[in-house]
Amino acid sequence: MTIDRETLMAYADGECDPLTTRRVERAIAADPALAAEVEAQRALRARIGAAFAPIAAAPVPPRIAELAASNVVTFPARPKRRFPAGWAGAAAASLVLGLLIGRGIAPGGPIEAGPDGLVARGTLARALDTQPGSDGAASGVRMLASFRAADGGYCRVFAGSATSGIACRDGDAWTLRRTASGRAEGGAYRQAGSADAGLMAAAQDMMAGQPLDGAGEAAAIRQGWR
Amino acid sequence: MSFERDLTALLPRLRRFAHALARDAADADDLTQVAVERALVARASFTAGTRMDSWMYRIMRNAWIDTARMRRRAAQTFVAEEAGAEVGDAGDRAIEARVELDRVGRAMATLPDEQREAVALVLVEGLAYKEAAAVLDIPMGTLTSRLVRGRAALMTKLGEAA
Repeated sequence: MTIDRETLMAYADGECDPLTTRRVERAIAADPALAAEVEAQRALRARIGAAFAPIAAAPVPPRIAELAASNVVTFPARPKRRFPAGWAGAAAASLVLGLLIGRGIAPGGPIEAGPDGLVARGTLARALDTQPGSDGAASGVRMLASFRAADGGYCRVFAGSATSGIACRDGDAWTLRRTASGRAEGGAYRQAGSADAGLMAAAQDMMAGQPLDGAGEAAAIRQGWR
Repeated sequence: MSFERDLTALLPRLRRFAHALARDAADADDLTQVAVERALVARASFTAGTRMDSWMYRIMRNAWIDTARMRRRAAQTFVAEEAGAEVGDAGDRAIEARVELDRVGRAMATLPDEQREAVALVLVEGLAYKEAAAVLDIPMGTLTSRLVRGRAALMTKLGEAA
């Protein structure tokens, strides 16, 4: 009777069915070398498990914990033209975009994939162009803040029932720099929830100076955000 | 908001899995972040009531593969500089634990990816063979054969180092 290495390992891990277990036990009783191998497999398993245990016991870095709780996803600006600072950013740019497209962001919707990332279209683009922050959610989307980014261009934080995010003026279009899903589970509309707070914190980081006041925003709308 | 709550509760295990896959502590946290970002974007594809851990392991493992070509960080140090700096203040047992993690991490890093991910899911994360095979989308026989080879290599490496 021979026991192959896979079966012996499976026995050591408690993965064998009762019949195989009995077969292995008989073999072990007859061969001390097999018993030693089972012990070695169990010792290795215990050692590997114990070595990594402190990581699961350690606090999660705040940036990851906050991300998981905030539901805000970052898009690096213009991934195509910028040399990626780290693989995480570059990966997020391409992969997140791919997932969003896969999820049904299609031509004709409020968000489309452009060559440099996601671009606002339709009602969302019109709201970004013309809707002041004081207008409430008349168009299905609220404008939470407008500001100038460090590169001098205008950006706006918006919150809708389906999608919230930060869009920045890029030529004639609004490119999405961040997005968060705006709908809570069960379809309830989320009023200034954690995602909005996360977006506002992100906007704070992008902002050069103060957000625009009502007059500044009205002037920017008149001038087409240039 | 149970999605965010469940995801947050999983973070310690996801980080541990990331550390088992990546050779570098900073890479592991980058990988965790990317996996969380992907999960948030893809949340609509998560079926409530199914196992979020398996779903997240799969997302992280795919993110690891997809980003493999973009990785530029050399494999010289497993313990990040920051983490290394804390060693001086830590107690003896904490130092021992760090040295052990470094030793095991280096041995893991020598494995081919397909063996390392099998070892990480079963020996580090404690998944059953069937669950690990499902996460990796491979037949059981393939999983056990990778696991046998990975463990044999680890035993040799760690036997030498011990």
